[in-house]
Amino acid sequence: MPGDPIRRELARLRRPALAAAVIGLAACAAGFFLDRQLLLRSYLLAFLFWTGLSLGSLGLLMVQHLSGGRWGFAIQRPLEAAAKVLPLCALLFLPILLGQAEIYEWAHEDVVAGDPVLELRVGRYLNTPFFVARAVLYFLVWCGLALLLAGKSRARDEGAASAVKWLKGVSGPGLVLLGLSITFASIDWSMSTEPHWFSTMYGLHYMAGYGLSALLLMVLVMARLRHWEPASRVAQPPLFHDLGTLSFALTMVWAYFSFSQYLIVWSGNLPEETPWYARRAQGGWEALAAALLLLHFVVPFFLLLSRRLKRSAVVLARVALCLLALRVLDLYWVLAPAFHPAGPSPHWLDLATLLGLGGLWLLVFYRNLGAAPLLAREDPRAAQLESQAHPA
Amino acid sequence: MTETREAAPVVAPGHDYASATAAISDVVLRRKPPRAWFVTFGLGFLGVLVLFYTMGVLVLKGVGIWGVNIPVGWGFDIINFVWWIGIGHAGTLISAILLLLRQEWRTSINRFAEAMTLFAVACAAMFPIFHLGRPWVFYWMLPYPSSTGMWPQFRSPLIWDVFAVSTYFTVSLLFWYVGLVPDLATMRDRVKNKLAKVLYGIGALGWRGAASHWERYETAYLLLAGLSTPLVVSVHSVVSLDFAVAQLPGWHSTMFPPYFVAGAIYSGFAMVLTLLIPLRKLYGMGDFITMRHMDNMAKVMLATGLIVAYGYGLEAFTAWYSPSDFEQTLQRTRMHGPYAPFYWSLILCNVLVPQLLWFRRFRSRLAVLWVISLVVNVGMWLERFVIVVTSLHRDFLPSSWGMYTPTIFDISFLLGTIGLFLACLFLFIRVLPMISIFEVRTLVSPNKERGKGT
Repeated sequence: MPGDPIRRELARLRRPALAAAVIGLAACAAGFFLDRQLLLRSYLLAFLFWTGLSLGSLGLLMVQHLSGGRWGFAIQRPLEAAAKVLPLCALLFLPILLGQAEIYEWAHEDVVAGDPVLELRVGRYLNTPFFVARAVLYFLVWCGLALLLAGKSRARDEGAASAVKWLKGVSGPGLVLLGLSITFASIDWSMSTEPHWFSTMYGLHYMAGYGLSALLLMVLVMARLRHWEPASRVAQPPLFHDLGTLSFALTMVWAYFSFSQYLIVWSGNLPEETPWYARRAQGGWEALAAALLLLHFVVPFFLLLSRRLKRSAVVLARVALCLLALRVLDLYWVLAPAFHPAGPSPHWLDLATLLGLGGLWLLVFYRNLGAAPLLAREDPRAAQLESQAHPA
Repeated sequence: MTETREAAPVVAPGHDYASATAAISDVVLRRKPPRAWFVTFGLGFLGVLVLFYTMGVLVLKGVGIWGVNIPVGWGFDIINFVWWIGIGHAGTLISAILLLLRQEWRTSINRFAEAMTLFAVACAAMFPIFHLGRPWVFYWMLPYPSSTGMWPQFRSPLIWDVFAVSTYFTVSLLFWYVGLVPDLATMRDRVKNKLAKVLYGIGALGWRGAASHWERYETAYLLLAGLSTPLVVSVHSVVSLDFAVAQLPGWHSTMFPPYFVAGAIYSGFAMVLTLLIPLRKLYGMGDFITMRHMDNMAKVMLATGLIVAYGYGLEAFTAWYSPSDFEQTLQRTRMHGPYAPFYWSLILCNVLVPQLLWFRRFRSRLAVLWVISLVVNVGMWLERFVIVVTSLHRDFLPSSWGMYTPTIFDISFLLGTIGLFLACLFLFIRVLPMISIFEVRTLVSPNKERGKGT
């Protein structure tokens, strides 16, 4: 459709994304020659954050297929668009695969030798062939689910009656696969930066964080597109109220998981477990922890209780943007102390990798978003929407 | 049973205000209780007598009559406590969280599930109190300025339990009662017996159904729902901490809080199904508790069951991935040790059998669903047995390993609480409307404005 306002808006959004990608990746290229190790360690953080947006979207997409609800109908297409960036994420994983030795200490034979914990773990699990095989498997599952779900949803637009049942039928087992793969991917890619440490909560913590990130992104997308047909039909106060409430819930779930893990480690006070927190409670990392507690839990708790705030697209989008930044900070606090135990040492490469990967991610996301009608047709919920011409 | 399955309605068609009100309130006011009521209540009452006898012996002789020993200092008492508390989670979940999520179908089952919650929590509370040995000084657990200088150990999750459980019970009771007030007024207006009229009238707190009453009621109910929601999560999280803060392999796991909460909801929904499927038939409530409810509850069970299975899987992975001899030995002991049959029955009951719920074929057969719900009830009991006993019976020092065998008093205490639970539940059905009348009225109303919440 020529002159489609949504397309025009997406084209406008593409320009800064392109600029970010070019500048970020150019800076990364410079970093490659300056300090490869620093680059790859920053890169890991950026990769986990942006891939997380896709994974969280994939999860929410399947949840809404199962649960129904008008919020899910409204953001279905943006979720599909975000999930469909996963093939790009697979490509972006290559530097980590090739640069394992720069990131993970278990990839060094001399470090492993003589350390009984590492010898066992590297022998069983954390060795390069198995690591690669698992990564391939994760991406196969993720890309497969994302492409299948998005494809079937388009087929439903064309009137394929079987697609409705199919989407529900795949989403249940799909969520099981997604949960398992995120758990093990978080162990492989993030927890193994400190390979002596282990926590059973880790995977759940990542899942909550990724789900929240994706939801916040959806708030931003819907707030941005709310003025134009057909987004304007759904992007009304009730939708933002729902998205705000769900963000509130997931923020609390994140806090619950984080605190439970901390409390149990603190009470057990075991030498295998406390170093992880000890490292994050010194040299300036404790300030980040306090900031997370305050800004990622206390403040959003009170803000997102407000019905008025949640129903205002502009204000909710601002809160979502801040929370999304805090999601990066949370990942930074979880990941970076492994590399910088002495204290936070932010580097321009952290920013460059986030910008570069983010620019690329967003470019593909915008393209996907423009490639399909923004509202799914033939969804049972579409008819409901038509029947209530003026949503309250 | 051949009942419709495709998008079954929440209330069967053809009902209006009067017929819905009559159908529900007549169970209490007009109809004679069916024979099955007398039989089940009688059995429950027998259980209560057994419970009283057991408690009597326990108070006279002390906890030595139980099978607990060193190293297994926690036996049936803690297993049953956690089991009952878990069952008590469905009620508040259904009434509070599903209300906030605007799930209309909760309306016909919330009253019953809440009542079940209260009785289950009451049964649960008995175990730790009697495990104290001197139950008459249970109030020592409360922080009050006593002349003895006793002060609770605030770092112990066992003390948090006291607060968590008592808060949960109080808020659940309030929630249940507030939800009952409009219905008590209906009962007051319909009952013929003078004394009953006065009693229902006292309970109805002068409810006249004025617009101002409804407005305040809605606000209060929504606030209570908001208050109850964190409680659903907190109670079983605290219970899980009873184990997780210890250093014992099999107990010390950071995932325990959400894993326990999922297990609690799992067993709670299983118990709701176990009770509702026969009751629905017995009282002909199929119009209000439809296949839609059964299907949704089965799905919630499947989802929470999968989270629980994730927990078992991750525990096994942790042991395999752990350099600690103790962790590995514990997992081996669970799978191959003297209590291995319990572990494998648990996997069968909680992981394998519930996978049938993926298929609508099984979800829509009430008999199958009922058997699965019973199996899950047993499975969740076994889970607590495995967690408590296998972790304790072989700890770090092989010289102090031992075995645990429950005595007749352990078993009679458990059976007694089951009796108490049944007796209370059947009394509730006899004297109060088991389905929220006024909320069902909003479902059959031609303009469905209320009952949606925000």
